[in-house]
Amino acid sequence: MLSRSNLNRLAAFWRHFPAANAVNLTLIIIGIMLVWLLISNTIENPARYLPSPIQVVLSSFDMIYKGLLPSYFGDTITRLVVGSSIGLALGIPFGLLLGLNRTVADMFYPMMNFFQSVSGIAIFPIVVVWWGNSDKTVLAVILYTSFFPIAFTVLSGVREVPLRYIHAARTLGASRYQIIRDVLLPGSMPHIATGSRLSIGFAWRAVIAGEMLAGREGLGWMIFTGQDADKTSEVILGMVMIGVSWIILDHYLLRPFEADTIERWGLVQR
Amino acid sequence: MSIVATASIAIQRRFGRQRLRQYILGSIPFVVLISAWHMNTVFEWLPPVFIPAIGEVWDAFFILQEDCAGVGAALTLDNSCLMSTHILSSIGRVILAAVIGLPFGIAFGILAGMSRPISKILEPIGIFANSISGIAWIPLAIVWFGVGWMTTLFIMLNTIFWLMFFNSMMGVRGVARVYEQSVLTMGGNRLDVITQVYLPGAMPSIISGMRMSMGFGWRALIAAEMIGGDSGLGFMIFSSAEEFKIEEVFLGVIIISLIFLATDRYLLMPLEKWTIHRWGLVWKPT
Repeated sequence: MLSRSNLNRLAAFWRHFPAANAVNLTLIIIGIMLVWLLISNTIENPARYLPSPIQVVLSSFDMIYKGLLPSYFGDTITRLVVGSSIGLALGIPFGLLLGLNRTVADMFYPMMNFFQSVSGIAIFPIVVVWWGNSDKTVLAVILYTSFFPIAFTVLSGVREVPLRYIHAARTLGASRYQIIRDVLLPGSMPHIATGSRLSIGFAWRAVIAGEMLAGREGLGWMIFTGQDADKTSEVILGMVMIGVSWIILDHYLLRPFEADTIERWGLVQR
Repeated sequence: MSIVATASIAIQRRFGRQRLRQYILGSIPFVVLISAWHMNTVFEWLPPVFIPAIGEVWDAFFILQEDCAGVGAALTLDNSCLMSTHILSSIGRVILAAVIGLPFGIAFGILAGMSRPISKILEPIGIFANSISGIAWIPLAIVWFGVGWMTTLFIMLNTIFWLMFFNSMMGVRGVARVYEQSVLTMGGNRLDVITQVYLPGAMPSIISGMRMSMGFGWRALIAAEMIGGDSGLGFMIFSSAEEFKIEEVFLGVIIISLIFLATDRYLLMPLEKWTIHRWGLVWKPT
């Protein structure tokens, strides 16, 4: 992950950061804060409907002091990492295996299409009946949501590897294993990267929804119980945490990873 | 030639050999899955509390619809016609959210695509709003609007608007400046540029955005109905799960995915293909 090009990009980012972009961003954030402050000062009962940013920041101090916020955040991230890595570890080989044989791929394509369109959140009530409100339920929903997008993308990636590469390798006397290792896996690498980003994105939504519905501790649970307990400042704090952590994850980890992979393994000549 | 051979050749000619092969191969996993489901009922590997019989799922549809007084009651979303009320209110929300959200999303997207200052303000907000996935808005929406139509509509609108905004903005940015300049040179005004250049040029991107936002919106709507709804398919599966009526849950899940698949396959995908064919800027040799 911390390859040379990533470091270069990071350096480029910091070089550009102090310029117009950061000023623009800070101005926007200050503007939103002011509008927010204004609205929360004019409405009745702001503590319930729209607490001011100051209150949100205060509640964050409170929750950090009690140790709740770090623990909820850690729980959510742990769930995301465990769930999506198991999902990817199952989905990538599955997609590769299906892609090896055209008949098998034709066979499973419609079924995977069907299951992909059943959203993981819709599966949730079934899993709840099976396993109750447990960590297992949340994990199952995350696995389900992250498995199908990645398996689907990898399958189409393997099928898009030009046949002449496979033929060339075979003509040169490559074994089946060598074809998989040297042709199909590198050829579908860009799809694997794109699919991983996609399914981690889906998994993130599933984590939040799963925690809300199954009542397991985490950021989703925090905003859900915050609403129940009439602590709207905690709800907004949780939402901001969710948004910011996804932006950091997506923009500084997954997207550079995807771009690097496409640059290194992509079949498009530039 | 025997009749069987003649008939088989006729069928292959009619549908196409490759497509026929794909249909038959594709149906095998479904047949296996459904027969495994049925075998589970016969041999009771897993108790029927966990996996209902196929017949029960089928019957659940009619049991839910049993007390319905007629078409009129079904259309007015009467509480006696549970099944049709849930389906229609979910679809109604989707249509309502699409009618309100799509034009606004497209309008703001085109505006942001045209002018840098506007996009500089709206883009960071949009990135942030998109990354707070629609689901995370549910608790706040419940505080603001209470449980019911407004909350679910808000969640869906929120999801649709920002996706549409980004897609139309990217679409407008992708249009070559030459077209805009040529319209201006020939004496067109700003409105002409929007209607003649930006809108058609961004059309493929807008329609893909529409398809994407419907997919994400449908997922968000189901989640919103589960937590903050009082009717709809999401509400139905969640409340049935709480009462351990597993057959209703299965029925709801199957209907949810069928509705999504049908709209995506027979409405949005052909629309997308047609738009790219009609408005796409990629030149195809005929």
